[in-house]
Amino acid sequence: MSHKERNVDLAKWSGPKRPYDLVKEFVIALLVVSVLVAGLATLFGSPDQKAVTLQDWAKKAPSDFIATTTGELAGTTISAAYGAPYNDASEGLSLGPLKLQKWAGVTIPVDPKYDFVIEPLAYSKDSAVPIALDQWNGASANQQLTWATDYASAIEKAGDSSKVTSSNAFGPVPAMSAGLLALAQDGNLDGLLTTSDTPYPSDFTKPILFLADGGYLDELGAAQHLHGDQWGMMNETGSYPGQSWLWLFSLWYNVEPFKSSENADAQIFFVLFLLNLGFIFMPKLPFINRLPRLIPIHRLIWRRYYRENNL
Amino acid sequence: MFLLARSLDSPAKFFNWGFISISIPNLIMIGLIIVLFVLAIVIPFPIHKGK
Repeated sequence: MSHKERNVDLAKWSGPKRPYDLVKEFVIALLVVSVLVAGLATLFGSPDQKAVTLQDWAKKAPSDFIATTTGELAGTTISAAYGAPYNDASEGLSLGPLKLQKWAGVTIPVDPKYDFVIEPLAYSKDSAVPIALDQWNGASANQQLTWATDYASAIEKAGDSSKVTSSNAFGPVPAMSAGLLALAQDGNLDGLLTTSDTPYPSDFTKPILFLADGGYLDELGAAQHLHGDQWGMMNETGSYPGQSWLWLFSLWYNVEPFKSSENADAQIFFVLFLLNLGFIFMPKLPFINRLPRLIPIHRLIWRRYYRENNL
Repeated sequence: MFLLARSLDSPAKFFNWGFISISIPNLIMIGLIIVLFVLAIVIPFPIHKGK
């Protein structure tokens, strides 16, 4: 700030003055907003989507559930290859040379194969499951992988797990996935995954990761236009208005090179960081700081002042 | 009112233009925000006469 500008700030205002009742304005604004909120809430309510559970998934899309369970055993799902904070299977998001996700470290360890499938199966009442688990645990890692990938390929080829002809080539995987499906359909898996680390069902990390690995939740999200490439960040479920003020975040997910980038989240975070710096330093940016002279909206707002003072 | 609430729970319609896809409810809200902004500029500020 120059010496001249400081003097302007310190000079006593000698122009016209007017009374202004801040408390009165606050009270009126509070009343108007309260009436609006109460009225609109009474009239329109709010989005009331029921939580999607593992039980819903297992009942409504059993083949997708079986395929995802098999994918967990094969280690081919999103969560199995996610990286930090769940595992070190990949480096995850990076920004140029900055390995942001990897550097954050594994703070919430999740082993999808064990946590989502093998551990819950210990609670199965299906008599075939303990035998299948013994066979699985007694096999080599390579054999386990072969069973799981072969069964996953067979499901993909048949289009539905119920159309896959049983075969010894899949080892215990069909029995294990069927056992987990039964656990989920009974509603027990939701409880098992939320209470595996804590006695209180308050940590939904595991069921949400498992749900996100499947196609069922993905399809529900797509139907409600909630995907990133559907401008989903701006949208709300149903026909309610969403977060339209997030348009600037949502925009980048829908244009190249971000749209097809595996590091889009980190890159867009960085772009928004730069744009915010632009806002902060707007008075110092050439041309940008002249925009009010080119688009004089402030003269429109304070038109009476400019008119009365012939400015 | 019940019918209105039910209709709000059904999926929204979308306006698509090139790569832009925006829900009609969002479009209505943005329109209302612009109208309010214009009204805030156009409607004269109350003048306290005699002061």
